[in-house]
Amino acid sequence: MLKRCIKCGFPETYETIEFNDAGICNICLQKDFKDSSINWVERKKMLDHLINEYRGKYDYDCLIPFSGGKDSTFTLNYLVREFKIKPLVIQFNHGFMRPQLLKNNEKTFKKLGVDVISFTPNWKVVKRLMKEALIRKGDFCWHCHTGIFAYPMQIAIKFNVPLIFWGEPSSEYTAYYDYTKNEIEEVDETRFDRFVNLGITADDMKGMIRHDFGLDERDLMPYTYPKLRDLKKIRFRSVCLGSYIPWDVKKNVKEISDELGWEGDQVENMPLHLYGYEKIECYMQGVRDYIKWLKRGYSRVTQMTALDLRNERITKDEADRLIEKYEGKKPPSLKLFLEYLEITEDEFNELVAKTVVSPHVPDFNRPMGNKTPDFEKWYREK
Amino acid sequence: MGNLRNISKAVYSLGFDFTYVNCKENFNGLTHLIIPGVGSFYAAMSHLNERELGDCIFDFAKSKKPILGICLGMQLLATFGEEGGGSYGLNLIPGKILKLDPGTENRLPHIGWNTTHFLKNHPVFQDVKDNLDFYYVHSYYFKPDSIEYILAESEYGMKFSGIVGYKNILGFQFHPEKSQTNGLKLLENFCNWKGIC
Repeated sequence: MLKRCIKCGFPETYETIEFNDAGICNICLQKDFKDSSINWVERKKMLDHLINEYRGKYDYDCLIPFSGGKDSTFTLNYLVREFKIKPLVIQFNHGFMRPQLLKNNEKTFKKLGVDVISFTPNWKVVKRLMKEALIRKGDFCWHCHTGIFAYPMQIAIKFNVPLIFWGEPSSEYTAYYDYTKNEIEEVDETRFDRFVNLGITADDMKGMIRHDFGLDERDLMPYTYPKLRDLKKIRFRSVCLGSYIPWDVKKNVKEISDELGWEGDQVENMPLHLYGYEKIECYMQGVRDYIKWLKRGYSRVTQMTALDLRNERITKDEADRLIEKYEGKKPPSLKLFLEYLEITEDEFNELVAKTVVSPHVPDFNRPMGNKTPDFEKWYREK
Repeated sequence: MGNLRNISKAVYSLGFDFTYVNCKENFNGLTHLIIPGVGSFYAAMSHLNERELGDCIFDFAKSKKPILGICLGMQLLATFGEEGGGSYGLNLIPGKILKLDPGTENRLPHIGWNTTHFLKNHPVFQDVKDNLDFYYVHSYYFKPDSIEYILAESEYGMKFSGIVGYKNILGFQFHPEKSQTNGLKLLENFCNWKGIC
């Protein structure tokens, strides 16, 4: 049995977790600090000041990296509504965008009236990167996470848009940037290296795959963090909106649903009626969550109920029932994933087994979960 | 001047351009001047005097453009330094350079990270928290004629000046170029500073 936080249920295998003598985790404690000790009135003034500093001086007031999930949609909507800001929206297409997400995006862009750039990297390279990251770290999302955070920074330089707004601060769910430090979370290369890129830079990746992949040196450009000098020359500032206003997922989702008609979606092995807003942007999400469950003994439902428990929106019994009912099933998308990577399920299990976080012991013989309504629309190699 | 390259690399990575000045003709067009330095006070002053750079630095200071001395470069800003037999400095911030008395527990040189406490506000300290650690390597310290010139202090057996300043002149005893994020922030702030307090 894993040791768990007595308040939110996060297990000891959760990244950056620590427990106090009472058995409460640091993520819960920093959330208490967020609610009680951060001066949000002062932070809002800092936001006003920051926006005024950059407003009207460039082709765009700011750059907003955008997936179309709840956080980036909220960020875009909030900044346009509250500040009448003129943003450039940049979208890094990881290759697995779902039909409902695309509908939401169109609605959001058209209702708000914003300029959008969408970039899709080479699929053949993406597949090779997914495989290498799975082999090395048991985490196939390297291409998406590095691309999402590195590519918009390149666009900021190319278009000379120095102010960049991300959404949710990482302090909401990990302690890499602890709320109790009472600092603005700078979304820079330090943060990128700290927990986004799995300790693998694009340059490292080049060395890892060039022996068996007809790699053009330029193929990894979208995943390469720009040089500090180039960012400093445009006097960049890259921050989370959630460092300036208190982040409340449920409230944010209500806002974008009411104001933009944003709709949630069924994610594999998630309760739609409660968490239909979470991680709707990727049809490989089910595989990511399944790997997490195999490696660490918890998954997305635990993460969601933990947030609700901290906000006292559900009881521990309700949370446990949801986790028991939904978590850890095999996702139907696994079949597609194995096709993309050209590996068998046994090979997949072997790779994941190497990266299991002690003391968790994985169970690879779980029943298959349900297909989502859009399952048949997802891309197939065959 | 062993930290010359590290400082110039740091300044460059922060988005600024640099040039090396080693004779008086090179001073034209400079907006900011950084005086680096690792070594002995006496040898460094002799070097500056041989190349007539002392007068150039003095003129630059009079122009009210910002000057930053780092480590030995900071000590050269003083009136007099006792290291190496004793010699006069640039006298841009009145004071003396004396040997540290580290007490019985510590050894010289003072090497490593040490907490630095701000005594005054300064535009170059913007967004840098108080009581952060910076990286020091030195055996001598700056004792200004007036405590007004001490902007930050640190402690190694005794309290000593971590940062000195007077009008458009600043001096860091520690190495900002080796002090990671916080050091780079100070260096960046200096490069953005117009020399006005």
